[in-house]
Amino acid sequence: MVVPLLVKDLRKDYLVKGKVTSALRGLSLTASRPMILSILGRNGSGKTTFVKIATGQLIPGSGTVEIFGHDVISSPASVKGLISLVPQECRPWGHMTPREHIYHYQRILGNSREGARDRVQFISDMLRIGSFMDTEAVNLSGGQRQLIVVGMSLSAEADIYFLDEPTIGLDVITRKNVWEGIRYFRKLGKTIVLTTHYLDEASALSDEIAVVSEGRLLAQGTLQQLQNMLDYNTRIRIPAGFAKGSLEPYGKVVSESQYEILYTDEKRVEEIILSAGLLKTRIEIGPVGLDDVFISLVGGSIED
Amino acid sequence: MKTSIIRDIRAWQSFTMLNGLIPIFRRPLALVAILSTPLSFLFFVDIFSHGTQLLVGSIGGLIFTVINAATMLQSDLLFGKIDLKFQQMIATTGISPLVYVMGMATGDIVFILPGAIFFLGVIVYLTPVTVLDVALIIFAAFLTWVFFSLFSYMISRKVREMREIWPISVIFGIVFAVIPPIYYSLNSIPVPFQYFAYLVPTTFAALIIKDAVANSLGSLPIPLFVYFVETVLMVVFATRISDWRQQTI
Repeated sequence: MVVPLLVKDLRKDYLVKGKVTSALRGLSLTASRPMILSILGRNGSGKTTFVKIATGQLIPGSGTVEIFGHDVISSPASVKGLISLVPQECRPWGHMTPREHIYHYQRILGNSREGARDRVQFISDMLRIGSFMDTEAVNLSGGQRQLIVVGMSLSAEADIYFLDEPTIGLDVITRKNVWEGIRYFRKLGKTIVLTTHYLDEASALSDEIAVVSEGRLLAQGTLQQLQNMLDYNTRIRIPAGFAKGSLEPYGKVVSESQYEILYTDEKRVEEIILSAGLLKTRIEIGPVGLDDVFISLVGGSIED
Repeated sequence: MKTSIIRDIRAWQSFTMLNGLIPIFRRPLALVAILSTPLSFLFFVDIFSHGTQLLVGSIGGLIFTVINAATMLQSDLLFGKIDLKFQQMIATTGISPLVYVMGMATGDIVFILPGAIFFLGVIVYLTPVTVLDVALIIFAAFLTWVFFSLFSYMISRKVREMREIWPISVIFGIVFAVIPPIYYSLNSIPVPFQYFAYLVPTTFAALIIKDAVANSLGSLPIPLFVYFVETVLMVVFATRISDWRQQTI
């Protein structure tokens, strides 16, 4: 079977003020079947550099990227038409309406006038943007403008969509509209590569999640697989300094700015509360989630 | 399956629409802004020459206006690349960079077209020209548009920030549309400077148009040949280097 996305040992250096900075240091990841693959990482972890290379806009130092068996590096033209992109921090043209954006993007892709109009209607319905389809982008909110670019990208009949932080700046309801759109394309058998800072978004949408840091892949798998990588299943959040030093015997302790987080086993919670005197303070107990996986792998929260 | 040519034509039309026809109807003030400088030059040339150099001023105005389109293209390409990230989206579509560039450049032609028609009209009004002369004038303007649009594309490839392009555009306009002998005769400058003037492609555009309006077609083949070859070389070079991808290190 031809794999939608296969990335091997990707390396990329930038020259910044005479100093070489490595953005990618041997990144490898795979979307082995049509899926939603979320790439999680802090700012500067190499996510956007990867997207630029995978979409044929940047030449890497070394490594390979294959999309459905086509080598993006040696023959970028072979993947055009297979891919579509929402670039990071992109904006629409201020003087054009959402309808014009999607229509002309369709025409640029080669669609007929009628086909382009049908596609505009389809995207308008899917993203529920009909109410402002004929308003110039300059008069729309930041979130509505972002939806225009998402709509343009999703209007392409591609096989793999690279969405680089597509929901940044969107309100909760609009984000969920975009999620629905992404899920719809997933059901059609498309592959979506999503970079995001939103852990809830990655948890809610992804078939698989890749955690990257400093240009390398730290882990990739389903949410469950990533959670299983942790030795603990329960998280206890305690105000910093409250039980200082007395928590280590019960599991792994990670310090945040105002809290300490104890990763432990749920069977030990009662014992910990009594032994560490935690009854005297407000604590939060819950199952480990993606944020805990991220903290465990990267060594700090995604917002740090 | 759509052929590549049909797709390229559709894409070209859309780039022209989004960079030319749609904004011109919604932001028509840009038309006035673009015409203001060459019309001002024409005004001063006319005043200071007591009307004797109106034709030369109009020839200069025509070339200046076409160069204006190329200058606008620099900003438009940069805006699409850096501010909007529109170019990144287009790069994934399979459209060649040159279709994108020339489609955007056609959009800019829409902005300068009224000015170009005005200056051409003044030239035709002031001198008895034949249809062939008019065709030669339009051809010279066309070569200027192609050459400098591709030149602007090359500049925009290297620029990384909008602020960088503003001084470049000003210098570009002065070097190619003010200093060379388009608003004055090549023979009015000392011979050594004339050699320097030949290094600037707009000199040949002016020579072609001046020869056409002077009905001295006998001296026309050399500048026409040189300018045509220069433009073809520019097209070949731009085609060879055109690539969406960046090699940053």
